[in-house]
Amino acid sequence: MTALIATLRRELASLWLTPLAWILWLALLLIEGGVFASIVTSFATNPGLTLDVGPLQAFYGQSVFVPLTFLFVCPTLSMRAFAEERRTGTIENLLSAPVSAAAIVLGKYLALLVSFSVLWLPTLLYPLVLRSVAEVEWKVVASSYVGIFGLGAGFLAIGVLCSTMTRSQFLSLVLSSGVLLAFIVLGIGENVFDAGFLQAFCSHVAIQSQLMETAQGIVSARRLIFDGTLIAVPLFLSVRVVDSWRWS
Amino acid sequence: MIEVQGLTKHYGSVVAVNNVTFRAEVGAIVGLLGPNGAGKTTTLRMLAGVLGPTSGKISIAGSDLLESPLQARACLGYLAETSPLYPEMRVGDYLMYRAAIKGLKRRSRRDAVREALSSTHCDDVIDIRVSNLSRGYRQRVGLADALLASPPVLLLDEPTAGLDPNQIREVRELITTLRQSRTILLSTHVLAEVEAICTEAVVIHRGQLVAHGSLQELRASRHVADVALVVRDPDRLTPAICTELGWGLRPDAECAVESPSVEPRETLRFVVYPEHLTGSMGSKLEELVAVLVKRGVGVRGITQVSRALETVFAELTSETGTFAP
Repeated sequence: MTALIATLRRELASLWLTPLAWILWLALLLIEGGVFASIVTSFATNPGLTLDVGPLQAFYGQSVFVPLTFLFVCPTLSMRAFAEERRTGTIENLLSAPVSAAAIVLGKYLALLVSFSVLWLPTLLYPLVLRSVAEVEWKVVASSYVGIFGLGAGFLAIGVLCSTMTRSQFLSLVLSSGVLLAFIVLGIGENVFDAGFLQAFCSHVAIQSQLMETAQGIVSARRLIFDGTLIAVPLFLSVRVVDSWRWS
Repeated sequence: MIEVQGLTKHYGSVVAVNNVTFRAEVGAIVGLLGPNGAGKTTTLRMLAGVLGPTSGKISIAGSDLLESPLQARACLGYLAETSPLYPEMRVGDYLMYRAAIKGLKRRSRRDAVREALSSTHCDDVIDIRVSNLSRGYRQRVGLADALLASPPVLLLDEPTAGLDPNQIREVRELITTLRQSRTILLSTHVLAEVEAICTEAVVIHRGQLVAHGSLQELRASRHVADVALVVRDPDRLTPAICTELGWGLRPDAECAVESPSVEPRETLRFVVYPEHLTGSMGSKLEELVAVLVKRGVGVRGITQVSRALETVFAELTSETGTFAP
């Protein structure tokens, strides 16, 4: 546990000591802030707009920009996790230390998860701002963040796995972006295929659908299991890959 | 203590390390020698737990590295080749982090870091970012990292690479003082370094162990003596006489001029191999001189040449194997 916490702290410091996390934060807040402002403006200037959702639901669940931000935030955050260690050779210091591969992977992953949460933290201000002019359903806000956090956690785990597969940060970024893009594209299949296995599969992995559900206050076990699988499988494989370096 | 048995590493069809077996006791400083690509770094990385062997056993301070990897790795300090460090971290923070993952208790970490920095003369860079350190300082911080938690086994890959002469001397002195309660295995290309600080040497060639022992044993294993003779008429000396005497005439005898003032053809080098030494060295020399004088060769001078480790290393790792007696 000591090694895990030490790794987590080092990774956090490493992420936030470089400009990368700050640039990501700025970009994310600019995009999300712009999207939220335009949604609120749209609702305010069209009083006749009769939708079954409010501005918060529209922001968390219907805006295409939220899943798109996953596409650049998660791969960028996770690309250096192992690729950089292998490129610079610092992985030798880690592998020769009395620490398990699982502790190394989990320490790095948790640091990414904390950073991801910090990136999204300021968006909590949006419902607070909205509260001054309208009623805010906090249950919906909470479930929306469960959706965002669950998917983000899964995509970060995929990013960590991709980072174990190459010594190049760029290649790691491309790999994990490709996987995430595949999820977004598969999600579109939900509306393309007729009812059947393919449509059910696409619906199961559809990011946008999960965000829409959680933005309506629905947190289903099916989605939680999906997110859990998205986290557990890549992390398990990452541990195996790190262990395999000793035998390659 | 380090114990290695039948250590083998294959990279596909390439055998990088082949059935290497040796043992190093507490208090020993063992130099791991070999030409480039001989398998030194692969061996060291396997001992550090960074790389798994294809077969064989490694024991670090009594713990089997394959059966109890965490326990064994807790007993070793490893300085990797080029001393890789995190450039964005400050030296003090980096070593605190390393102390934590090496399992040092929170209360003792700060003292351990100070002690390691003091031992490697890095106290003045504790607040400097690694990216701003010179090559020499990076090497010493890597060494400080290896010393954290006072491991009983130290594995050092080229520990003096990139250091200036003063720093090299300091690091060598440090390594010598560290041997008291430790086993130190260091890989180096600098044979003078091995002669200066090592008590033993392990020589690897093409992945195979070709020699292991104290430096004296290594020298003696090749030749008991190497003698340079200044003679009046070398043409009278035939290889048959040398063979009869049990002395080897070096193939490069004519090139073995010790001083440019001596005529090349007047100096001959003779080596004696352990299997040919039946009596004492003195009597063997007397015998040689007597025979040469009797055959009219005429001995004008005799010098016993010290067998430098470099020569032994060259013979052990030469393509043809050894010089024939």
